Amino acid sequence: MKALFAKPWIWSFVAAVSVWLATIGVTGGASTVGLSQAALTFAAFSVLVGIGQMFVITLGPGNIDLSVPATMALAGTVALKYMDGQNGLVLHGLIIAIFIGGGVGTLNYALIKALRIPPIIATLSMSFVVQSAAIWTNRGLRIKPPQVLADFTTSTSLGIPNIALVALLMSAVAWVLLHRTPYGRWIMAIGQSLPAARMAGIAVDGNRFVTYLFCAILAAICGYLLACFSGGAALNMGSEYLLMSIAVVVIGGTAVAGGDSNVPGIWGASLFMFLVVSMLNTYGVGAGVRLIMTGVIIITVILLASGRKDAIR
Amino acid sequence: MNTRTMLLASATILAVAMPALAETSDKTIALSNNYAGNSWRQAMLTSWETITGPAVADGTVAGADAFTTAENQATEQAAQIQNMILQGYNAIVLNAASPTALNGAVKEACDAGITVVSFDGIVTEPCAWRIAVNFKEMGRSQVEYLAGVLPEGGNLLEIRGLAGVFVDDEISAGIAEGVAQFPQFKIVGSVHGDWAQDVAQKAVAGILPSLPEIAGVVTQGGDGYGAAQAIAATDRPMPVIVMGNREDELKWWKEQKDANGYATMSVSIAPGVSTLAFWVAQQILDGNEVPKDLTVPFLRIDQDTLEDNLANTQAGGVANVEYSQADAIAVIDAAK
Repeated sequence: MKALFAKPWIWSFVAAVSVWLATIGVTGGASTVGLSQAALTFAAFSVLVGIGQMFVITLGPGNIDLSVPATMALAGTVALKYMDGQNGLVLHGLIIAIFIGGGVGTLNYALIKALRIPPIIATLSMSFVVQSAAIWTNRGLRIKPPQVLADFTTSTSLGIPNIALVALLMSAVAWVLLHRTPYGRWIMAIGQSLPAARMAGIAVDGNRFVTYLFCAILAAICGYLLACFSGGAALNMGSEYLLMSIAVVVIGGTAVAGGDSNVPGIWGASLFMFLVVSMLNTYGVGAGVRLIMTGVIIITVILLASGRKDAIR
Repeated sequence: MNTRTMLLASATILAVAMPALAETSDKTIALSNNYAGNSWRQAMLTSWETITGPAVADGTVAGADAFTTAENQATEQAAQIQNMILQGYNAIVLNAASPTALNGAVKEACDAGITVVSFDGIVTEPCAWRIAVNFKEMGRSQVEYLAGVLPEGGNLLEIRGLAGVFVDDEISAGIAEGVAQFPQFKIVGSVHGDWAQDVAQKAVAGILPSLPEIAGVVTQGGDGYGAAQAIAATDRPMPVIVMGNREDELKWWKEQKDANGYATMSVSIAPGVSTLAFWVAQQILDGNEVPKDLTVPFLRIDQDTLEDNLANTQAGGVANVEYSQADAIAVIDAAK
């Protein structure tokens, strides 16, 4: 038990479960299944972008990818436009989305490395280019996804939303990458001290490049799935995932300064972020109070998580 | 002297050729737009091009250029307006990022002798014209419609827009007025959908499990389809969802209508309101007396006009009408 509470991600789960209980309590448990499925579905999207952002943040101070929303919008619009509702082109669409993610990730790191622009500026300016490309490709039109994809993203297997299963699979891959491969050790080492990592012979540039690439590809896949889930791509569909992708990483107990990351916390934080809004909506709290409450609750969770860390160190 | 003679001659020829248009044929009008990132704004810009292109070609005005700021920031748009003053436009048609923050720049433009016509996102500076939307009535009319189709009343779910924005408060106040007028309705839940289908879908999916049966959903536009998606994912009966003229909403409505006779209505402002503002600016430049406050007509779609409107709406766009010079004169006369 003590070991469990020493985990950095535990507080996000404690928060998610308490909010979940408080919400279903209103209806005496009648909303349990509906709320849980909705929470898993919407948390899955935050998890996908959150994992990518977590790898980037692991790289250490100053590393962040602000092009996530624009990448989602571009990947979603281009893939849906290409598939044009035809079931046979589902895989082609996914490959296009992944290529778009790869392109954005490569350009992001090219700006950071070749032009020596700080990541926050490089990815922000890249997001303008990408967003404009998304506007230019389809002028804000909303094209329906192929029926098989719409069905897949909105249905459940054994009571668990398919989207959540996809996110779970990606999380497992991310966990293995982070804790069981040299790549994971290397990016943790880079995050803890870049000069030390370089002296230890780690290929710093290669690893950073792969990380930005990975983040952009995950954002693109998320945009592809979200567009299919919500019945069409929209230019503004990624906008709330900019802050969300960073928030779930921080609430999940990953060190903002880099070098110390964990995957489970992303899940706890994503579930929590959806449930806290649902809870406050369910209690009928006004928008102003709701935003304040959301902020206060997030700060509390972060304080709890970081307080524990200090105790250990 | 020579130039002057030439100008005089061409003016005389123009005056003979098209006497009604001579007054503004050398005038330029600029569109200052704060945001282009959604389908409504894209349709607004397309309408502007569709109407002003021929107007420039046939010499009604000398130029009608559209400019959009990148960041949806009032400071950026104020700088844009200052540039337009320096470039010497005769009129600026403005969809403003803020009702008050641009007042300084707008006053500068007025002082430079430039006509400023704000629409949709209006400015409070008294020297500018305002083509405003009666958002309160838009909210109230939704409840009135529901009272017609659901005489026994019931529970309503309200989907609001972006918290803290003037438009959201106005439409919501109108809905509250409507509920006071028709007390058989009760708002049992309220979420913010940010005028985006995916945000609305997420918010509705989150509150739905805790709600009793819903008879109707009142919306602000751009959120009806998301609400329908969220409700369809449960085993609840489909309530009457008031739509907001988006193509995906109308298409979904049409599918339901064909399948089971589903009935609702849809109301919003046509993005072509930018062309109404263009003609109003042209009328002012032409020397006509125009009241400072004008009201935009709603574009309402009902069960019997659904097919026509859907056929005229671009896939993925918004139901639209473009206004003519005659329409603008009619709106001006109505306000006098």
